[in-house]
Amino acid sequence: MDTQELYVTADLAHIQLTEEEVSRLALQVDQMVAYFSKMSEFDVSGLEPTTHMQVSRSRVRADERRDIPGAHPDILLDAAEELEDRFIVIPNVL
Amino acid sequence: MYQSFIGLEIHIQLATQTKIFCGCKAAFGDEPNSNICPVCMGYPGVLPVLNQEAMRMAYVVARTLNCTLSPRSVFERKNYFYPDLPKNYQISQYEHPLGRDGFVDIEFHKKKRRVRIHEVHLEEDAGKMIHAGDMSLLDYNRAGTPLLEIVTEPDLEVGEEAEVLLQQFRRMVRYLGVCDGNMEEGSMRCDANVSVNLSGAGLGNKVEIKNLNSSRFVRKALNFEISRQKDILERGGTVVQETRLWNENRDVSEAMRTKESAHDYRYFPEPDLPPFITDEAFLLEVEKGLVELPAARRTRFIEEYGLSELQAEFLIDERSTAEFFEQTIALGADPQSAASWLASDVKKLLNRRDESIDSSVLNPERFAELLRLLDEGRIHGKIAKQVLEEVFASDASPAAIIKAKGWEQITDPAELSDYISTVLEAHPNAVEQVRAGDAKPVGFLVGQVMKATSGRAEPQLLQELISSRLAVKVIHVLSFGGAISGVRREDGLIGPGELFDLRTEFAGDTGLPAELRLEEIQLGAFLSEEIAPADWAVLVSEIARRIEDSEAAGIVVAHGTDTLSYTASLLYWFFGKARIPIILTASSVPNDSKRGSAKPRSEAVANISAAVKRAASGAPGVGVVYGAQEFAPLNLKFERVEEGADRAGVFRTWNEAVVPAGAGPMSTGPASTGAPVSVDLSHLPNPIYPAAGVDPTDRKAVQAALEEAMSRCFIVKAFPGMRGDHLITLMKNGVRYFVLELYDTGTASVRETPYSLRAALQYGAANGVSFFCTSQQEAMVDFADYVTSHELWREGAIPMGRLTTESAFTRLIVAQLGSEDELEVQRIMEDQ
Amino acid sequence: MLTFWKNVLENSPDAYEKAVRARDARIGAFLEFNPKRHLGNAAHKAASAEKHAVLAGLPFGVKDNIAVDGFRLSCGSRILEKFTSPYHATAVQRLMDVGAVPVGKTNLDEFGMGSSTDNSALGNTTNPWNEDHVVGGSSGGSAAAVAAGLVPFALGSDTGGSVRQPASFCGVYGLKPTYGTVSRFGLVAYASSLDVIGALSADLDVLQAVYEVMSGADAFDQTSIDVQSLGSRDAEAGGAASLGYRGKSPCLGVLKPDQLELSAEVSETYYACLEGFRSLGYEVKEISLSMLEYVAPVYYTIATAEASANLARYNGVRYGLRPDYAENPDELVRLSRDQGFGPEVKLRILLGTYVLRSGFQDQYYLRAQKIRTAIRQDFEAGFGEVDMILTPTFPRQAFKHGGEDMSPFEQKQADKFTASANLAGIPALNFPAGVLKGLPVGMQLLAPAFGEPRLLAAARDYATLYQPELAPGYERPAGEQ
Repeated sequence: MDTQELYVTADLAHIQLTEEEVSRLALQVDQMVAYFSKMSEFDVSGLEPTTHMQVSRSRVRADERRDIPGAHPDILLDAAEELEDRFIVIPNVL
Repeated sequence: MYQSFIGLEIHIQLATQTKIFCGCKAAFGDEPNSNICPVCMGYPGVLPVLNQEAMRMAYVVARTLNCTLSPRSVFERKNYFYPDLPKNYQISQYEHPLGRDGFVDIEFHKKKRRVRIHEVHLEEDAGKMIHAGDMSLLDYNRAGTPLLEIVTEPDLEVGEEAEVLLQQFRRMVRYLGVCDGNMEEGSMRCDANVSVNLSGAGLGNKVEIKNLNSSRFVRKALNFEISRQKDILERGGTVVQETRLWNENRDVSEAMRTKESAHDYRYFPEPDLPPFITDEAFLLEVEKGLVELPAARRTRFIEEYGLSELQAEFLIDERSTAEFFEQTIALGADPQSAASWLASDVKKLLNRRDESIDSSVLNPERFAELLRLLDEGRIHGKIAKQVLEEVFASDASPAAIIKAKGWEQITDPAELSDYISTVLEAHPNAVEQVRAGDAKPVGFLVGQVMKATSGRAEPQLLQELISSRLAVKVIHVLSFGGAISGVRREDGLIGPGELFDLRTEFAGDTGLPAELRLEEIQLGAFLSEEIAPADWAVLVSEIARRIEDSEAAGIVVAHGTDTLSYTASLLYWFFGKARIPIILTASSVPNDSKRGSAKPRSEAVANISAAVKRAASGAPGVGVVYGAQEFAPLNLKFERVEEGADRAGVFRTWNEAVVPAGAGPMSTGPASTGAPVSVDLSHLPNPIYPAAGVDPTDRKAVQAALEEAMSRCFIVKAFPGMRGDHLITLMKNGVRYFVLELYDTGTASVRETPYSLRAALQYGAANGVSFFCTSQQEAMVDFADYVTSHELWREGAIPMGRLTTESAFTRLIVAQLGSEDELEVQRIMEDQ
Repeated sequence: MLTFWKNVLENSPDAYEKAVRARDARIGAFLEFNPKRHLGNAAHKAASAEKHAVLAGLPFGVKDNIAVDGFRLSCGSRILEKFTSPYHATAVQRLMDVGAVPVGKTNLDEFGMGSSTDNSALGNTTNPWNEDHVVGGSSGGSAAAVAAGLVPFALGSDTGGSVRQPASFCGVYGLKPTYGTVSRFGLVAYASSLDVIGALSADLDVLQAVYEVMSGADAFDQTSIDVQSLGSRDAEAGGAASLGYRGKSPCLGVLKPDQLELSAEVSETYYACLEGFRSLGYEVKEISLSMLEYVAPVYYTIATAEASANLARYNGVRYGLRPDYAENPDELVRLSRDQGFGPEVKLRILLGTYVLRSGFQDQYYLRAQKIRTAIRQDFEAGFGEVDMILTPTFPRQAFKHGGEDMSPFEQKQADKFTASANLAGIPALNFPAGVLKGLPVGMQLLAPAFGEPRLLAAARDYATLYQPELAPGYERPAGEQ
């Protein structure tokens, strides 16, 4: 993976990389991606991907109000850094 | 020539009690961040849990849109960062959406189109971010609301079609009860993609348009975008594939800055949710959720109840109204009167009281009772309106109200006869006068009976009883200018005059029934070509008053030939469903035969005689009698076919195959005693009254309305080298509606030159001006066959089908009375 | 020993707390320790179901990526360093319902990403057997807490071996249940299709009870399974209590050890172990798991892909670390993540993002999911011949801090034995099989889905041959006089 691809990937992942990080991570990422390439040796024709385990039937819940005990909205708002009239505040470009 | 392609992505919030993946309340308008939990806030460690009802609703919509339902639908993660998206991925569907390959049928300006549905998939809504200066405020109440996305193929061509599709869609989801379809509150949202290319070259570069918060914006934004792209292509440029935002304040679309990489959503199957597999029980639930859709219900209402398209359209718009209507019918009410009461007086009262039909005190039982009382003649129309108001005011049943108020009509012939006997005995002179052949006292006597009964006598019965007691049948002959009542002046020219004395002229006419009593009423002494709105207002109000409460068994209107086609159709749009015959007639020359001479009777006398006979004996409604023939009141064309001393002309009906003309020559000649055979009017387009909003008996109101309506209308005939900018000048001077007389089946120049209609059509479309298209030939305008026809349709022109310019014009005038906006006028014009 | 544990919180909570703190000062197993916080919240012993009475009153440690209401839920990460959980994980709640008491949160590799617990941003944990060596990971704090006698059992999470590998490094039992048998509600997701909550203990009775209490369908996790309703062979036989499948002598599948690239100590123990089972009457049958060589690349492809999405929610907006200053939302998010995540987490997020990118997804992520199917089929074929499979848990014993004797890349490659169970969704158990050169060696037993009872039964059998030793100096529970 070249540095450009690493930057594109980091951008998608919303991770800000310093130059020092880039040079270190590039090596590690390269090593792993090369390792992943081992998978290309294997013939996957006719194989369905495994995306879920032990699935036999649909799982649904009834359309009824249900709370998670203890997790009151006000408690959740307490975890936010900045509030204004119950809104969570983040900076904005002027 | 360019082609445009529009595809829509419609999002609807499903009306579940709780969110799609957690048990939080799904509601609009609550305090910020009050309906949140760790799941919809994207807390660490929590998992989505699928709401069955969201799934059921989603499948119901997909099924309704004729989709192939997935037996196994899979949720996937759509990865992108945005502060209003708590997990920074959206749980959506991608490879295995729940529905695919459906379709929906739409119709815009008579052009039907099948719009293919690419897919229907379910996902979660994001929260809301409000920008406030240097901060952004986040509210996650909406995050996790079930959101159904419907993606169409790029099968639409113009913005108006997208608007129609959205309105239809809104109605559909409301019918299904899965969404309230409120675009302002965002429970229904729309993005669109537009591409323009040379005809035949396939799709062009696709531009996405976002921020379309109403169906009106959708139309405007798409049409703006189509012309923007066309302009680029015409200048030889290339349309940039991009996302644009509609700026509703400036009416333009603006490019949105996005990073290219932001579009790599890296979909992969959501491991936290097992695939949804439909079983029989679930599919049964889905089937149970299906309802008769608005379009099907409209067709059924028209076929089953004989309603007009417009009536049916009104009734089916809201499911509650349609159901109220059908419940009323089930209680035995007449569909026609139920429909027209609902569309007029009931609607007005509901609007005034700001109530909806299913929450008002008027229930189907009360409504059916009111109609039954009316039908049985126990009350008449005016009282019925008062009763209806009283139902709303006092929350009581109509029967109880009329009993309490003493409003019940006298419908018992024996009881009424007693009153009549008393009145006749008290006025022997009047009776004598009538017996001598004078019709005037009949009205006086009717008035006396009314007075004696405190107005409770049923008018129709009273008229019938008086007529039979006095052995008279009263026909009112309204003289309305024209040569028929004109005089030949000394210089030989024909000028206005007063109608000749019918009694004298008809003396000895053995064909006329003995009990006929004619009353002549002079409404104007002018020539047919001089008619102004005030004249029509007089005519309309006089006829309306006579229909409502006079002793007349029929009305004859003596008219000139020049504008008969206008007046006849105007009266038809007003009074097509009147309870008595209203017969127009005319003459191309005045009655200048010498009285008592041996000369055959003049054309004028012969025509009026035939009209009187028709009015005395024929079917109710509006008709035209001329030259021993009866014509439908629509699509008349006067043609001079003989030159000579009498300068005789004939009338003809255009598009006879669809508008039935007279049933042929009368069985006997003009001098004979036979009345014309009645024309079968059942296939005519529906009259507009009584649905419209102006009281037709109020002359001043009618005049004001007509003047206003006519000032907004203009008839334009297309011609080679026509300057489109002249029409723009007219629009700038207040013309809102054109009747555009095109060539043949609806063709005209729409090239990019000053000598075409294009500029005018586009200016009109941008400014809410409508073009209703008729033909200069006897032809059906449907925009079906020609390139320029299709272009006209694309630019928003509306085909008038079989209607002639005159009939379309008068319909346009009546349509404006009581319409709220140009869209309603358009709907009425298209309902033929 | 169990009697001590059952009464310690009731009788001498302060002494217990003091003793744990003293011991943990050397080991660093706990990130947060407060035995009294939930003392009153756990169901009273008397009220607890008799069946699981063994758990009533027991203190337990919880890996700090599993939610306990009122305790931190840091995941060993700066980004959640100050985050307190507002709710209980289902597994924790169920244990509390039978009277067990969560006493603290144990250290881990950040978000479960690592094999040493050295990737924690919030604390250092060291192996009670030898402080120079790592404790393993990612549930290293839980393994250390059990091995050092701080708690009788602890919860861990296992995505690719994170319960079993530290258990093997510390000489305790570590169970990774069948995927879905224990609700993941409350487990902070690393790789959702692989994650499962497991347990570590030095006592098989306790381990079995913990598994039984935690397992079962949960309305807050739609991938959870009602084990009892499935009617698996083991479950039909009456659950864990009676191991009815032993109608015939159990058949144990073993691998050709020469292909396994094991350290001499692990290799030696593996041979000894299979001979031991043979001596217990087990039939031992050599099988080949041909897919084993693909396990690590497939595992890391899928795990990092899922992680890249699972960790996207940490953006400094609603909770968690937020930079002192950011100009706009985008910068806020980027800086939060840059400052909040450690290097291993960043590496895995980048890898996961990359393998999902359009143009690369088919080649990596999709291909990995397909090979995962082949790996499952490989196991299915294997379990057609044998009842269980015996493998080493890790190719070597606990390595040293700092990666000087095993690089991070080698650590990843070495996950193949453990990660195979996660890819196949099957249960696996690490049991202590010996101590060589002062460090324990663990072996792994694998069974088909829902075969936990037979794994526990086999471990009991083996315990008749080899009774696990506790780390020197920690033979008695903390606080025991």
